[in-house]
This record gives sequence, structure tokens and C-alpha cells, in this order.
Amino acid sequence: MRFTLALKNILKSKGRSLTTLLLSMFTTILFISYVALMDGSHHQIIKSSVEIYTGYAHVNLKGYRDESSYENLIEDAHSIDIILGDDASIKEYAPRFETYALLAGDEKSVGSMIVGIVPSAEKTLSKLPNSLIKGEYLNDNDTNAIYIGSELAERLKVDIGSQVAMVGSSIDYSIAADLFIVKGIFKTGLFDFDAQSAFVNKPYLDTVMMSENKATYFTLNFHDNDRIDQATAMLQNKLPSEYEAVNWKTLLTALVQAMLVDSLFGYISISIFFIVIFFVIMIFSYVNIYTRAREIGLLRALGLTSKDIFGMLFVEVLLLATLSMVVGTIIGASIAYHYELHPIVISGIAETYKEYGVVSDEIPMNFDLFTIAWNALTIFMLNLAAIIYPVAKINKLTAMEAMRYV
Amino acid sequence: MKYLISLLFITFSLHANEAQSIIKKLEKNLRGDYMYATMKMIVTSKRGKRTVKIESWSKGNKKSFIKILYPKKDRGITFLKIDNQMWQYIPKIERTIKIPPSMMLQSWMGSDFTNDDIVKESSLVEDYRAKLLSKKGNSATLELIPNEDAAVVWGKIIITVDLKNAVPVKETYYDDMMKKVRVMTFSKVEQHGSHRVPMVMELKPLDANKKKNSTKIIFEKINYDAKIDPSYFTKHALKRYSR
Repeated sequence: MRFTLALKNILKSKGRSLTTLLLSMFTTILFISYVALMDGSHHQIIKSSVEIYTGYAHVNLKGYRDESSYENLIEDAHSIDIILGDDASIKEYAPRFETYALLAGDEKSVGSMIVGIVPSAEKTLSKLPNSLIKGEYLNDNDTNAIYIGSELAERLKVDIGSQVAMVGSSIDYSIAADLFIVKGIFKTGLFDFDAQSAFVNKPYLDTVMMSENKATYFTLNFHDNDRIDQATAMLQNKLPSEYEAVNWKTLLTALVQAMLVDSLFGYISISIFFIVIFFVIMIFSYVNIYTRAREIGLLRALGLTSKDIFGMLFVEVLLLATLSMVVGTIIGASIAYHYELHPIVISGIAETYKEYGVVSDEIPMNFDLFTIAWNALTIFMLNLAAIIYPVAKINKLTAMEAMRYV
Repeated sequence: MKYLISLLFITFSLHANEAQSIIKKLEKNLRGDYMYATMKMIVTSKRGKRTVKIESWSKGNKKSFIKILYPKKDRGITFLKIDNQMWQYIPKIERTIKIPPSMMLQSWMGSDFTNDDIVKESSLVEDYRAKLLSKKGNSATLELIPNEDAAVVWGKIIITVDLKNAVPVKETYYDDMMKKVRVMTFSKVEQHGSHRVPMVMELKPLDANKKKNSTKIIFEKINYDAKIDPSYFTKHALKRYSR
């Protein structure tokens, strides 16, 4: 009987029902889209940081991440190469030799990170080759060629073909020095990285640094990077005990935590919006219920208890909230799905926010069914909670009071 | 009560004055107008032991010129320090390079000393307030707290002084969080002209990752009386005296 009465009431007051329906539906769409956009932009920042240079996982000597010095080098890179080559879960990998040295142009000298890389392997492991803006990327036979960040080139006042002197420390701590010719200039958009990094073909840098068969770490990609925690744990079991396999969640801890804090502030902002929405729905329900005070009084006079009245009104809201949740979720999820595949493009946003790691003008949404489900359920629960007070209030009136209510 | 407070104040002032005079005496003894020295630096780390032979010329604490004599690979590398700036010349690439401020905290020649240690010209008398912690016979322990306007990186230094020879015995360095970061010990005191000099200095970092590290400097020759040609303290000297 409650269901029939509720349904009749919904159909009888089409305007009122439609307004409630639309209000809840738009709130659901807005919430799903907001969270999808927030998560999407965070994923984009992390993905950029991982794919530009860091890579999905590293293998290094235990202690290297605390003290990135020559004391914690991989002394036999060949043995690690064999282990990684035999692991079917690894798609590609390459050793790197990272060190800090002084680079000097004709006028200025700047302390920067110099990395020995395997140029051909980095084509699939990082976005270094794709970030080329001038000159050429390195190849595996290069000797005195250096590939430097755009900001670093500007600080050193050098261009393609310029000579750059490098003075660092070889692994026996004697002075390592050489002259390089700038072969290519890259720009990833990560400001600090472009201002402090330079790359050299590893076999050649090894002759300067005396680091043959040594590496600071191996960078690698798994076939299934979505299940990276399991893949990293399995790789760890295959490595000798003095080595560790760590994935991007550990390598980029600071960034991951910054994104979590940003999400937290995002949820705090949206919760203020929820409080407003909650009161809007509640006031709307309050007005709705009180405009029906006479009708409710009549139903009470006909013998319906306050429990029946609560049940009837609750079923009404339940029906409307369910319908709005279903429609709102379908539309919200479709928006999230569409913009995940075809990200929103805001021209110039990467340039403006480059210090924050924004390297693309594209802002994708994140389509995640679990997130969408909890977003939709939150709005649904808010809808139900919003009628408790108005119904409780009207149920306090007697049948006569309700019928006389103006 | 007033008498007690005055007595305490006078005692404290006397201690502060005494501490300051010990430090002054120490600096006067260790510093000459000119100094020529040859030394051996032994750097020990997890990667092994390495010896570097060095020749140095200095004028006060503002100017110094350093030349690497050994190992062969580094022979002829020269460093020039004028005030708080530093240049180096590398014969292999025939380039003189100024060391930028961002590299000042990097290790110097793979040792536990930083470029900043080589460059800095801080004076224990001018940059620190000394307080006498204890005094027993010929040994005194002082606490040095940097003055507010001093450009120094340490939170404090605890120094044990051999009062008879006016030389330090041990210096413990604390960072600005008052955590012990390194200890320098001095030994084998010898008389050179009017100066008493500890001929061996050993620096040990206290970082957990550097338990096996140490840098020992053994002076082989020291001459405070030789007048040094001013041409050593010019940028041209880097290449000229590299050979």
C-alpha cells in the first residue's frame, strides 16, 4: 500500500517530483565528474613523472635510495642484467649510471646530474627521446656527445655544437673530466629536471668515470604495470638479498603523498558543497512535505499511523533517489569514460603549471567503477538523510493540526 | 642575594673571557701570515683507501693555492681560493672552471671535506661565542656557538684544547638540529718556527652510512716563514703552476 501511495503521489505532483529528481541527478553527475577529474589529473601528473624519466620500477643496491653515493653502486651490472633478462614479467630494462658533476660552458659553470644511459633502450623506457626540441637524440655509438635539458642549456649559455666541459668524480674518487659537444636539447616540461640534467651514452661515460660493468640502478617496465606491487614483490624474490626492487609508488613517495594531500583538500572542498546540497534537498523536502500537511492530516484521520506516513514519504524519496542515482550515475560515468578516452584540453595549462609537474595540456578524467559507485551511493544516502527531519517534524502534528495547517 | 647574583655574573664573565682568550691564542698559533705545506691525504671509504699528495701555499685565511701531486691521474690539478670563491684547473681538458655555490657542499677530491670546508674562512674568534665547559690541567673543553650574523653551517662546535701547546685535540661538530655530525682529531704536535702544529688531522663523519669513512691529513712539510710570491694567488697561476 505504501509503495502504491508513494507512486501515486510522485505521479500526481509531477513538477515537484521532477525538481527533486533533477536536483539529485545533477548532484550525482557533478560529484562523479568532479572526483573523476581530480583523480584523472593526479594520475596524469604521476604518469608523466613516471614515464618521463623515473620509470615504473628500479633495481638498486639496498641503501642506495638513502645514500646515492658511489658506496652503493651495483658492482656487477652484468649479473643483474641476466636476472632481469630471464624474468618474463619484465617488458624492457636498462642500466643507468647517475652522478653529479660540474658542467661548464665558456662563461658559466653549473652543478648538474649527469646520467649514463643506453640510448636505444631509453626509447621505450622513458620519454627522453620524445622530448627532443633541438638537434639530435643520442645513439649507442656516441662518444663525446651530450644531450642536455633546455633550461640547463640556457643557464650554461650553450647551443647545439657548443663545447661543454664536465668535471666530476670517477668511482675511485679521482677527478673525472672530459669535453662534450652538445648533440641535442630536450624539454620535458619538468622545470627542475630540464634545468639540472644531462645525458651521455653510458659505455662512453663509463670510460670517463671508470664505471664499466657498474650501474647506480636498473630502470624497468613490466608487461602489466597495473599490477606493479605483485610484479615488484615477485622480482624481489629473484634478486640476491643485497639488492632491492622498488616501484614508482616508493620512488615517487613525495609526489604520491602530495597528490593524497591534494585529494584530501579536494574532498574537503566538495564536502562544503555537499553540506549546501544537503540543506537544499532538506529545505526542498521540508517545503514539499509541509505543502502536503492537509493531505497528511487527512491520511492520519483515516487511520494511518505516523510510522505509515514516514514509510510512505520514505518510499517516495527512495524511488526518486534511486531513479536519480541510476540516471545520474549513467550520465556521470559516461562523462568520466568519454573524457578518460578524450581528455579535456586547456591550451597553455602545462606552461602555467610546469613547476607542479603538469607536462601536458590534456586533463583526462579517471573512469573507475568503484569510485563512481561510492560517489553515487554518497549522494543517494544524502537524499535519504535529508527527509528524516521534515518527516519527523510533520509527524509531531496531530491529524487535526495537520489538516488545519496553512 | 644581590651579592650572589653579582658573583655568578662575574664568574660567568670571567669564564667567557677565559674561553675567548684560549681561542684567540689557538688561532694565533695555528695561523701565520704565510704558509707553505706539503701533505698527504688518506681517504678511507667502503670502496677502499686512496692517497692524495698535495702542495699548498696560503696567505692568511683569505687566499690559498693548492696543487695535486699524486695520484698520477690527478697530477697537476690546481685549486685557487680567494675569499669565498674557488676555481680549479684541469690539465686534461685545459680548462679553468669556477666552482658554483651549488657545488660547495660536494666532497672535495672524494674526501670527507667539502668544497665549503676548503673555501670557508670562518674564524673561531670572530664567528663564534666561546664558553668554557671544563678545565683540567693543560686541557680545556670549550663550547663554540656561532654568532647570529656568522655565515657558518654548524649549530655548535665542542673543542678540546691542549693549553700548553695552544693546539686543538678534538673538535666535535653539530648541525643546526644539534645532532653530532663529525669529529676531527689532532695529533703529533711539532714545533715549526714560532708555531706549534698538530701534524696529523683525522676527520670522521658520524653518519650511519659512512661508518667506514675517514679522511686523514698528514703534514709532511710546513713552513710559516717563507714569503710566498703573490703570483700564486691569481687565476693565471692555476695553469702556470699546474706543470
